[in-house]
Amino acid sequence: MTRYCMVIDQRRCIGCHSCTAACRMWNELPTDIVYNAVLNEGVKGEWPNVHRNWLPTLCMHCEKPACVPCCPTGASQQDADGTVWIEYDKCMACLACVNACPYGMRDQSKLQPRLHRFVRKCTFCRDKRKDDPSAQPYCVATCHQKARIFGDLDDPNSEVSKLVGSVETFRLLEDLGTEPQIYYIPDLGGVRK
Amino acid sequence: MAEIDIHADGVEMVKSLCYFCHANCGVLAYVKDGDVIKIEGDPDYSNQGGLCCRGTSALLHVNHPARINHALKRVGEKGEGKWEKIPYDQAIQEVAEKLNKIKEESGAEAVASAGGTTRTDDWARRRFLNQFGTPNGFHNALLCWIPTFMAETCVAGWSPFETDLGAARCLILWGMNPGASTLPGMHGYTDLQMGGLKIIVVDPRYSETAQHADLWLPLRPGSDAALALAMLHTILYEGMANYDFIDKWCSGYEELLEHVAEYTPEWAAPITWLEPDQIRTAARMYAMNTPGCIQWGCTWDQIGRASTTGSHAIALLRAVTGNLEIPGGDGMPGPAMNYLTDEEMEANEALPEEQKAKQISRFKLTSWPGYTLISETAKRQWGKTLPTEWFCEAHGPSVFKSILTGDPYQVRALLVNATNPINSYGDSKMTLAAIKAVEFLVVVEYWMTPTALFADYIFPAAGALERPIIVTHYGATDSLMGGRRAIQPKFDRHDDYQFWKKLGLACGQDPKMWPWEDLEEAYSDIIKPLGLPIEGYNDFVDMVRMYYPPLHQKKFEAHGGFWTPSGKVEFNSTILRELGYPGMPTYIGTIENPIDTPELAEEYPFVLSTGGSFMPYHHSEWHNIPKVRYLLPEPYFSINPEAAEKMGIEHGDWCWIETRRGRIKMRADVEPVIDPRVIFAPRGWWFPERDGSADLDNPFGCLESNVNVLTSVDEEHCDPMGGSWANRGLLCKVYRCGELDEYRHEDTLFSIPGSASEPGIHDMHPSQRPLAREEIPFTAPEANVAAPPEGVEPPLEWDWKIGAYWQPATGYVYDESGWLVNSATRAYHDLWTGWRYDSAQNLLVDDATGDVYTMEREPVKFIHGIRIYPGVETAPYEVPDHLRWNVEAGYAMLPDRQFVYDPNSGWMIDPDTGNYHDAYYGYLYDASTQTLLDENTGNRYSMSYEPLVQSGTSEE
Repeated sequence: MTRYCMVIDQRRCIGCHSCTAACRMWNELPTDIVYNAVLNEGVKGEWPNVHRNWLPTLCMHCEKPACVPCCPTGASQQDADGTVWIEYDKCMACLACVNACPYGMRDQSKLQPRLHRFVRKCTFCRDKRKDDPSAQPYCVATCHQKARIFGDLDDPNSEVSKLVGSVETFRLLEDLGTEPQIYYIPDLGGVRK
Repeated sequence: MAEIDIHADGVEMVKSLCYFCHANCGVLAYVKDGDVIKIEGDPDYSNQGGLCCRGTSALLHVNHPARINHALKRVGEKGEGKWEKIPYDQAIQEVAEKLNKIKEESGAEAVASAGGTTRTDDWARRRFLNQFGTPNGFHNALLCWIPTFMAETCVAGWSPFETDLGAARCLILWGMNPGASTLPGMHGYTDLQMGGLKIIVVDPRYSETAQHADLWLPLRPGSDAALALAMLHTILYEGMANYDFIDKWCSGYEELLEHVAEYTPEWAAPITWLEPDQIRTAARMYAMNTPGCIQWGCTWDQIGRASTTGSHAIALLRAVTGNLEIPGGDGMPGPAMNYLTDEEMEANEALPEEQKAKQISRFKLTSWPGYTLISETAKRQWGKTLPTEWFCEAHGPSVFKSILTGDPYQVRALLVNATNPINSYGDSKMTLAAIKAVEFLVVVEYWMTPTALFADYIFPAAGALERPIIVTHYGATDSLMGGRRAIQPKFDRHDDYQFWKKLGLACGQDPKMWPWEDLEEAYSDIIKPLGLPIEGYNDFVDMVRMYYPPLHQKKFEAHGGFWTPSGKVEFNSTILRELGYPGMPTYIGTIENPIDTPELAEEYPFVLSTGGSFMPYHHSEWHNIPKVRYLLPEPYFSINPEAAEKMGIEHGDWCWIETRRGRIKMRADVEPVIDPRVIFAPRGWWFPERDGSADLDNPFGCLESNVNVLTSVDEEHCDPMGGSWANRGLLCKVYRCGELDEYRHEDTLFSIPGSASEPGIHDMHPSQRPLAREEIPFTAPEANVAAPPEGVEPPLEWDWKIGAYWQPATGYVYDESGWLVNSATRAYHDLWTGWRYDSAQNLLVDDATGDVYTMEREPVKFIHGIRIYPGVETAPYEVPDHLRWNVEAGYAMLPDRQFVYDPNSGWMIDPDTGNYHDAYYGYLYDASTQTLLDENTGNRYSMSYEPLVQSGTSEE
């Protein structure tokens, strides 16, 4: 089985927002939609002993997504490889999934005509992988720092499964039980190895 | 959604380069029907497929609706924003007529030109300016690398700017934030750091890079020179220098030791706000972890009058630790020997000496006086030299002042190419006034900038993807990277080479001087000397793309010395002394600081730091692309929460930042990323979404949030050597904006010299004002070696720097042996004729014609490559007994046949046909059958004279 996931290395991220801009270009997003914002919680500590963590986000492509069962039309669905996506033709923009997603990763654009305000979210660049199964999502390819790593968690030789098995990682809102498939390697400060 | 099939029929992949900052990442452009449909990062290039938010948005840039697409001629008043579209060539013709008229009336020097960074090929501009006859071309080069480059060249003969990080153990990122400015570099640093490289970051701000440092030195902005001198002191006085290297390759060690004695870490501590132990730790980390690199950072050139002092001290840090040109150290590439340098493309010989003297700059290191000295040495030592573009330019702010004051003469026309001086040069209010006041303004641009608004003519520029690109780091390195033109320029856009070529031809310049049809043709001429089996520039990009010369390190060992006048790394620089500057770095404070100007510090309690790069913008660009602008839609300055609380400022409040020169508005970003005594403000802000013509006091809000309103370009505030002005280490105050506190007319007033509280031009003759530091009077020492004989042509001159006579026309140095020595090749040349001595043959060779002469300077004669000696009585070589020496002809021959004997091979050669004959019987050698043929009898013999049985055709 294939089970796509992403590992995000906070030790490498420098907050340049290239992934956000690249995603916008590839997916032709309107200005008020962002799939993969790079957040930070602000600089912690007192000058000069300070520390900052960048938190690149995207749809968590949960193992047990809250946004799929709640969809009344079946537009919101999950592939066998774990990718959660929306069939736009079926979406009637009821926003049930937007309310269900605990990560706030779904939204509709207010800049588009009312009838075309389907809900959008990150698809792990599903359309890019249609022709070429080995293709990387655009945010991964464009990352100068190689802080985003994409791959098949079920493949024991993939970089992601090696990382998830060997390095300390965490996931966002793990206690909700949605089993998000985005793993973060924390930057704990100090010397990095 | 994005249903773009890059594998469809008719889609061509073109290897291009990004052109939106200096990193020039590799880009793959997918082109269909003459239009780019998609781009992505090139995975096989140094960026490994990565593209930042600007690079990835290149298609937005190409197709942006606000791009200028046609030549525009002003029809209303200046700044009114009324334009007429006219054909490109007509606009060129009209501009050329006006420029020629100004040249006739006021001289060529009344035409000046401002340039921007790496969106253009600047050798083409210099080619135009040189032929036109004006020395007044300039960039913002003085804030970016050039003073540092010149100081480093004075010390070691070239700038050691190519770090070899793979083998390095320590790296200092000094005043450089690759996390926001060169992302491909940052990727490499992060990888290597995980492998054990120590990274020291010198940055007053908790930047993207400082966040990942092993040792972070948050110094007081502008105190870099004090830190460098204290580190130098620590290394020398704690015995951590590389003494083998110093003994063998350096001069002036004792003087330097004495000179830096007073610059202790304790002396530097109050200036830099660092603990003495922090400085010592940094010095030890760098000196004990060799080989190590110091990466140049823009800050070095942006701290005003201490700039060149600081970079000079850092240059010495590298030298005393022996980190020059070694694996893992800082490499000095030198000029490109294997392809044409920018300098060779500039046609500098076209600019007359008297015009050079008219260049508007009092700062000798970065204008013709310093350039000439450095260039002479470079030509002598390397064989080639630096381009004059960037490295030998007018002082931009002084040119703007000359528009307003007429001092030293009136500049009447300004050609602005790919830059927006109002936002990018110091003292924006004065610059805006100059842009408004100049009689004739021509702008080549992508966008309607505040500068372009006041133009008489605007020309549309071709950008990235619309032009081929060649990366040679300002013509100062020996490697080369290339990218192709993905599509032909859209609309009436032209690349800058076409602009200067058309303008040059319209001004009446010789078409032979503009031989290249387009940039691809010019680039293939540049790379032709590489001798690659390719046709044209596009082939080069497709098949080679990156060229690196074979010998890349320890070139000084092969060369037998460094490339300075004396051949040593000069701790006490002779060139700087000849220019009247101190030969060793001598501390000088920033123009405003609490130690030298305490009364100012009372009124303006904060130290201001500006000028750094920040994502997603580059210089003053990209504010007009909403899909990039949304990442940072408004200007935010950084202030520490402690200071903000004291001033009653909360996160997001609009505030005034004020210096003696003026004030600007920005929103507060209250975070502990900066010392409580420091304000960090981003540069370049203007508001393209506004109507520029609505408020000509402040068009497009170009003064409102522009940090350059706060800077000073008074000549005594500029670096006395390089001429750079300060973005960092100024004093300012910060206070909240009242609700009705708008930007007013009073806020746009300025003065020369600068102080906004007394507007107007107070000093009609800025060039008469003293510089910040008095020049040290200098007389060159007299010759103390025997003079060469008189009458040598071209004549020799004494040069105290090398302690020898030399021939300026050729660059050869007179040796005590009585010969001239070419320093670059180490070949000996004849004093009287300049012919090269060929030691293998003991002959003189005229390399220009290929003719060969004896040591008595008599021509040597050859017959089919065999040297002959007509008129010589006895043979100069051993002649076999059966041969006869022919005195008249000068060679040995068979008694009966006039064949020429070749003493090297032992064969005879027929002078008429060039055929080989054997030396005993004169049989003809038949190479196809490897036999000898007796032409008289037709008999054949083997090579050992055994008769061969005739077979085949001979029998018949």
